[in-house]
Amino acid sequence: MASSLVETKLYVPRLRDGQVSRPRLRERLSRGSQSRLTLVSAPAGFGKTTLLTEWLAAAPAEERAVAWLSLDEGDSDSGLFWTYLITALQTAVPDVGASALPLLQSARPPIETVLTTVLNELRTLPYELYVVLDDYHLADGPAIQPGMAFLLDHLPPQVHLAISTRSDPALPLARLRARGDLVELRSLDLRFTPGEVAAYISEAGGFELAESDIETLEARTEGWIAALQLAALSLQGRDDAPGFIAGFAGDDRYIVDYLVEEVLSRQPDQVRTFLLRTSVLDRLSGPLCDAVTEESDGKRTLELLDRTNLFVVPLDDSRRWYRYHHLFADVLQTHLLDERRNELSGLHRRASEWYDQAGEPLPAVRHALSSGDVERAADLVELAIPALRRDRQEATIRGWIDDIPDEVVRRRPVLAIGFVGALMAGNEFDGIAQRLQDVERMLDASAGGADIVVVDPNELARVPGAIAMFRAALALVAGEPAETIRFADQAGRRAPSDDHLTKAAASALAGLARWAIGDLDAAHRGYSAAVDGLRRADHISDVLGCSITLADLRITQGRLSDAQRTYEDALRLASEEPDTLRGTADMYVGLSQIACERNDLAAAAEHLRHARDLGEQNGLPQNPYRTRLAMARPREAMGDLAGALDLLDEAQRVYLGDFSPNVRPIPALRARLLVATGALGEAVDWARQQGLSADDDLSYLRECEHITLARILLARHQAESSESALRDASGLLDRLATAAESGGRTGSLLEILVLQAFARRESDDEPGALAILERALTLAEPEGYVRVFVGEGPPMRSLLGGVARRHDDWAYVQRLLATDEPPDQSSPTRQGLVEPLSERELEVLRLLATDLNGPDIARELVVSLNTLRTHTKHIYAKLGVNSRRAAVRQAHELDLLTRTGDR
Amino acid sequence: MSNTAAGDLHESGWYEIRLDGRLDPRWATRFDGMTLTYDDGTTVLEGLVADQTALHGVLQRLRDLGLPLVSVTRMPTDRFADDVTTTTNNGELS
Repeated sequence: MASSLVETKLYVPRLRDGQVSRPRLRERLSRGSQSRLTLVSAPAGFGKTTLLTEWLAAAPAEERAVAWLSLDEGDSDSGLFWTYLITALQTAVPDVGASALPLLQSARPPIETVLTTVLNELRTLPYELYVVLDDYHLADGPAIQPGMAFLLDHLPPQVHLAISTRSDPALPLARLRARGDLVELRSLDLRFTPGEVAAYISEAGGFELAESDIETLEARTEGWIAALQLAALSLQGRDDAPGFIAGFAGDDRYIVDYLVEEVLSRQPDQVRTFLLRTSVLDRLSGPLCDAVTEESDGKRTLELLDRTNLFVVPLDDSRRWYRYHHLFADVLQTHLLDERRNELSGLHRRASEWYDQAGEPLPAVRHALSSGDVERAADLVELAIPALRRDRQEATIRGWIDDIPDEVVRRRPVLAIGFVGALMAGNEFDGIAQRLQDVERMLDASAGGADIVVVDPNELARVPGAIAMFRAALALVAGEPAETIRFADQAGRRAPSDDHLTKAAASALAGLARWAIGDLDAAHRGYSAAVDGLRRADHISDVLGCSITLADLRITQGRLSDAQRTYEDALRLASEEPDTLRGTADMYVGLSQIACERNDLAAAAEHLRHARDLGEQNGLPQNPYRTRLAMARPREAMGDLAGALDLLDEAQRVYLGDFSPNVRPIPALRARLLVATGALGEAVDWARQQGLSADDDLSYLRECEHITLARILLARHQAESSESALRDASGLLDRLATAAESGGRTGSLLEILVLQAFARRESDDEPGALAILERALTLAEPEGYVRVFVGEGPPMRSLLGGVARRHDDWAYVQRLLATDEPPDQSSPTRQGLVEPLSERELEVLRLLATDLNGPDIARELVVSLNTLRTHTKHIYAKLGVNSRRAAVRQAHELDLLTRTGDR
Repeated sequence: MSNTAAGDLHESGWYEIRLDGRLDPRWATRFDGMTLTYDDGTTVLEGLVADQTALHGVLQRLRDLGLPLVSVTRMPTDRFADDVTTTTNNGELS
C-alpha cells in the first residue's frame, strides 16, 4: 500500500451491540444482490453505515467478499479516489489491479484504460463481490463522475456497488432505475418506526417507555436515528423520563443541539472538556488525544466513550483508532468554537506536531493550516516534498499548492520549485515558465540581501540546477530539442556536485532530445551519464527505467549484444537490492525481444514467463503495453498473426507514453501486421490517416512509419501490379537507407535493406537485390539477427537461396535457410483440412502448381530432392490424393493457392 | 429586483437562507460572518457570501447537520448596508 494511504479507511466496520435489527430494510437490500447499484441516500445520522454493515454481515463470509472504502474530504481528487478504490478492491480480491495501480500513480492515463484492466480481472471472479463506498458525497464531483459512470456501465454481474451518501450522486440513476438495476433506500425508508424506536430504547437504553412516550419521541425526532441515540443517552438514569420527553417535545430547538447539550451536561467536566478539545481531530487515538489535550488518560477516556456508546466509531479491530460520529463532531466543534475559541489554534498546532512526530505529513500539514500557521504548514510541506516525490505521490503536493498563500510561497524558493515539480509530474505545464522565473528572482533577491525562507539549506543549493532542469523539460515537451540541450547543459553545470538526481535528470533530458533528433550516440552518452547519477543517488529503480531507453537505443543501432548486456547489467544491479525492484519485470520483457530477434523463441518465452511471474506490480508504468508488444512478436514468429494483432490492440489500450520519443508507434506496427495478414486496404487507410507519403521529408521520429509505408507500397505493387507503387517504394527506401546509414541506425537499416532487396527483385534486378541482401547479411551476422530475414517468409527464402548459390560456404546464410518455418496456426479452418498444411508444405504445393520439374523445385527451395519427396508425400496424404495433378486440383478447390503468404 | 438568484457566478451576494426549526445563535461561528436569527419557527441565516462556491459550502454544512431547508434567497444588492427586514422567497429549493 502506498505510504500516504490511510489504512483505516479500508476497514469494514463491525456490527455493534445494542443495534436494532431491521429485517424490513435488510430484505430490500438483499435485492442489491441482483442489482448493479444499491444507493442509501439520507442525511447524516440515519444509520446508513450501520445498515450496510448489518446487511453485509448477514451472509456467510465464504459466499461473498466485501471491499469497503470510507471516503474523506479530499477524496474527490481522481488520482487519490481511484487509488483508494483499487486498494480497497485488493483487500477483497488479492492482486486485482496490480497493473492498474502503477498506471494511476505515475501519469494520468484515461480512467477508462485503468478501469478496463480492473474490470477484466473482476469478470472471472468465482464469487460475489460487494464494493461499498461509504460517505460518497465527500468524493462525488466532476473529477470522478465519468469513471464511476463507466464503472457502473461495465460492472460484471457478480460485482455489486453500494453507495451511502448524503446527496444523490451525479450518476445516471434514472437509467439504472428504469432498467431495474438500482435498489434505493432513502430517509423515509431509513427512519425508525415507532416499533423500532421502542425496540431501540429498550435494547440500547435498557429501559422501557410508555407507548405514548415512544410516540412523542418518534414524532419529535421524526425517526431520526442520531437524535434517538442522543435521546436514549439523555434518558439513561433519569427518574422522570416522561417529563424529559415532554420538555423536549415542547422545544423547537435544533434537536441535535438540544440533546447533545443534555448529554454533555451530564458528563463529568473532564470528559466534557476532552470531547470538545478532541473534536478537531478526524481520527482519535490515545496518544494523539493526549498530545492535543495535554492530558494523559486519552486511551482510557476513548475506551470509556466506546463502552458508553458516546458516538465514537472504532476504526480497527484492535480499538486503537476511533472517530466521532460526524454529526456529534459537528456539534462538539460548535461548542468548542463558542466556549473555547482561544484554544483552537493550540489544539490544531499540537495535533500537527504529533502527526509530524509520527511521520504523517499529510494530517500534520492539514492541522498546521487549520491552526492558521501557514508558515509552519509551508515548513512541513517543504520537508515532505522529497519523500513524496520519491513515492510518486505528486498529486498530494499538487493539492497543497492551493492551500499555501502565494505570498508565503514567494519567499520560499525550495517550496516553489517543489510545487513546479509536482505540477510538471501531472502534465500541467501552464504557468510553469512564470513560476520558474519567480524562483530565479527570489534567488537573485536573496543574493541582494532580501529575506527568503528555507528549511533545509542543502535543498537551496539544488534550486538553480533544478530551475534549468525544469526549463529543459519544458523545452522537450514543447518539441524544442536544441533548447532542451542548452538548458540541460546549464542544469548540469549549476547543480551541486552531490545533486546526482538533478544532474541525472538533465543528462537524461539532453539524451532524449538527442534521441528525438536521431543522434543516437550522443543520446546514449547522455543516458549513460544519467544512469551513473541515479546509481550514485541510489535510485536503482530509475536505473532500470533508463536501461530500457539505453537498450532501445542499442537495438536501433543494430547492437543486439550491447542491448542484451544493458538488460543483464541492470538485472545484476537489481539483484543486489533486498526487495524486488519496480522495473525488474521490464528487463525480462526487453531480453525476450532480443531472444525473439535471434529466433530463440524458447528463451523469449522463458523471459516473458519470468516477467509475468514477477507481476506487473514489479513493472514500470509502461510495462503493460511493452509486455504485450513483446508477446506479439513470438506469436507472429509462430505464424499466429491474428493473436499478434489482438495483442497489439491490447497494447494500444494500455499504452502509456513517457518522455521518450515514440519512435515505434503501435499503430504503425499494427499496419505492418495488417499487410502480413492480407488486410491491405486497412493498412492503406492507416497510411492515409497519418498523412504519409513517399515524398515526405524524412525524420528519425517518423522512420518506423515510413518503413511501414514502404511495406504497404510493396504489397500494393504485388496485389495490384502497380508500377507507381513500386517506384514510390523504391525511391522512399533509397532515401530511408541513406538517412538510417548516416544516423548510425543499423537496426533500422537492416530492415530497410531487406525491403530494398525485395523492391529490386520486383524490378527484375535480381543481381541488385542479392547484392543489397548480402550487405544486410554482412551487417547482421555478428549480432546474430534471424527474424529480420526469416520473418519475411518464402520470398526472402528464395532470395537467400540466391545468395547461398553465390556463396555456398556462408554458414550464416545456411543457418537462416535451415530455420524452421513456423507452423501456420491461422489457417486450419480456412484450409478446411483435418490436418492443415504447414507454411512450408503450402510453399511446395504452390511450386507443384507450376511447370517446374522436381529438381528445379528442390533447387528453388534449396532442399535436397529427398527432402522434397518427403514434403510431397505429406502433402498428398493430407490432401487425400496420390498424384501431383490431383494435388493441384484439390488445392484449387480448397482455395489453398490464392493466399500468397507474401508480405 | 435588479440582481436575481441566477446572478453572476463570481460575484459576492447577500443571501438569506431559511431553515425549519430553531438553531442556536452559537452556530453562527460555523458560518463565517453570517448571522442567525430566529423568526417564528424558522431560523434565518443571512450574510454576505463570497461567490457560488462559498454558497454551496454553506448549503453543504447545513446538509451535514440534517437541517431542513425552506428557502434560499439572493437579496437585492442595494440593500447590502441596510437592515434586512422583509424577505422574499424566490429560488425556493424545497
